[in-house]
Amino acid sequence: MNRDVYVIGVGAHPFGKHGVPVGDMADVAGMAALEDAGIKFPDVDRLYNGYIAAGGMMTGVTFAKEFGLTGLPVVHVENASATGSTAFQEAVLSVAGGNAEIAMALGFDDMNRMGGMMAAGFSRPSIDTVLLPAAFFAMWAVRRMHDNGTTVETFAKIAAKNWNHARSNPIAQRRSDHEVTPEEVLASTMISYPHTSMMACAAGGGAACALVASEEVVRRLGDSRPKVKVLASQQQSEQYTKGHVFMGAVIGPSEMTRTTAQAAYEEAGLGPDDLNFVHVHDAFPIEELMYYELLGICGDGEGDKLVAEGATSLGGRIPFSPDGGLTARGHPGGPTGLAQVWDATQQLRGESGDRQIPDARIGMCHMVGAGSVSVVHLLARSD
Amino acid sequence: MAQIPVEDGYMIIPNEKGKSVRLVGSYSPEADESFFPRRRRCPITGGPVEDVEFSAVGTLYSWTFLHVPRMGLVPFAQDGGYGVGQVDLPEGPRIQAVIEGDMGDWEIGMKMRTKAYKIAEDKEGNELCGFCFEPEVES
Repeated sequence: MNRDVYVIGVGAHPFGKHGVPVGDMADVAGMAALEDAGIKFPDVDRLYNGYIAAGGMMTGVTFAKEFGLTGLPVVHVENASATGSTAFQEAVLSVAGGNAEIAMALGFDDMNRMGGMMAAGFSRPSIDTVLLPAAFFAMWAVRRMHDNGTTVETFAKIAAKNWNHARSNPIAQRRSDHEVTPEEVLASTMISYPHTSMMACAAGGGAACALVASEEVVRRLGDSRPKVKVLASQQQSEQYTKGHVFMGAVIGPSEMTRTTAQAAYEEAGLGPDDLNFVHVHDAFPIEELMYYELLGICGDGEGDKLVAEGATSLGGRIPFSPDGGLTARGHPGGPTGLAQVWDATQQLRGESGDRQIPDARIGMCHMVGAGSVSVVHLLARSD
Repeated sequence: MAQIPVEDGYMIIPNEKGKSVRLVGSYSPEADESFFPRRRRCPITGGPVEDVEFSAVGTLYSWTFLHVPRMGLVPFAQDGGYGVGQVDLPEGPRIQAVIEGDMGDWEIGMKMRTKAYKIAEDKEGNELCGFCFEPEVES
């Protein structure tokens, strides 16, 4: 990056199936981020809206009018599940490149509206009848079980961990009133063998927002809290691999996560051992298991051991999805990647309450988006 | 009435006994790789590609059984679900499609045969077909 970029404010509207209009949620998240940063909307130079199913054309720019008619450039970003992460990256790059002093990334959506939209898109008989991502990730899982002897209990342990992480997250969609056990996860309805409903990400509505700014702005604002610096911002699309699947709504080769993370590590000049926590696209537990290895947290084939040791739970060596992840915090679509930034920023500031990771200094936010793309950000506490 | 592909350019349905349904893709002489579905150009080299008719039988790479509705039109198994698999064809491409059968019918590494299945019907009563795979019966 040409110049340093900092996260100066974050905000969110709780995720869930609460039926709150998307425009209302976007407004709550945006205003919360502005308040968190201690700035007003006229201070924002560029706005990147991230949404998939929230509405048709004009939605983002229409919502922006509620913040004020300041004439700033407004852009709609869409990259499937990685929409929020991509909006965040665009905001980061606009500041890094000197095109903005303060940029806003605002994600809002309601995944429950997507069913109708997608069904309408595929109502004409076609050869490319889209297979659900649930099928694709389940096939990762079945192959993993075949190759490595991974058990369904391992998948259940990962999901239970994320349910329990979400219990103290005020914006989480799934906030269990009791400690969730792997047995409970396994006993829930089968969705796509070997994944059960409690292993599948929570689909609902929500909004999340992050404001990024230059060092000069940070100095001027004089916020006494720890600063949160963006150490790396990387995105990749698919590269050809043997057995490449072209047809269907799929997440491409899993290696895409490895190469995107490597690029991020190189940009930041650090490695996986430097991380204190990680957010990943854990739409299903097989993903989190494989990302332990693809992100370099452990060697290939050693992810199961990490789960058995509890290393990725809060209190463990390297907590994954400390806010509950897609599994339990939820996955509304557009705001998901920004909810990771929301949590990571609070972790790095030491504001995460019961789920605070002691002395958290460096965190990773990883998402993949169908089509497909992989996005990795590294954020650090910068005293 | 005949079975015909619901869209051109993806598959050949011979409609003759003893002849198999074949998928059609692209072969890149430069990269010596094959792709499905057809590509406008080689995704590796950017060079020209030519049409290739793939073998009908491949190897099951992975599978799952879904209990949730599929987007689009679905041939449901008797208990309301359906199988999905990834099949590696001998020429290289990995094909993701519906697979016939039920839980317990599939094993990674087993042979799977390309098959046409009815998605819709045209005005003349022809079956408009997509493709799926079925476990190959050893003769």
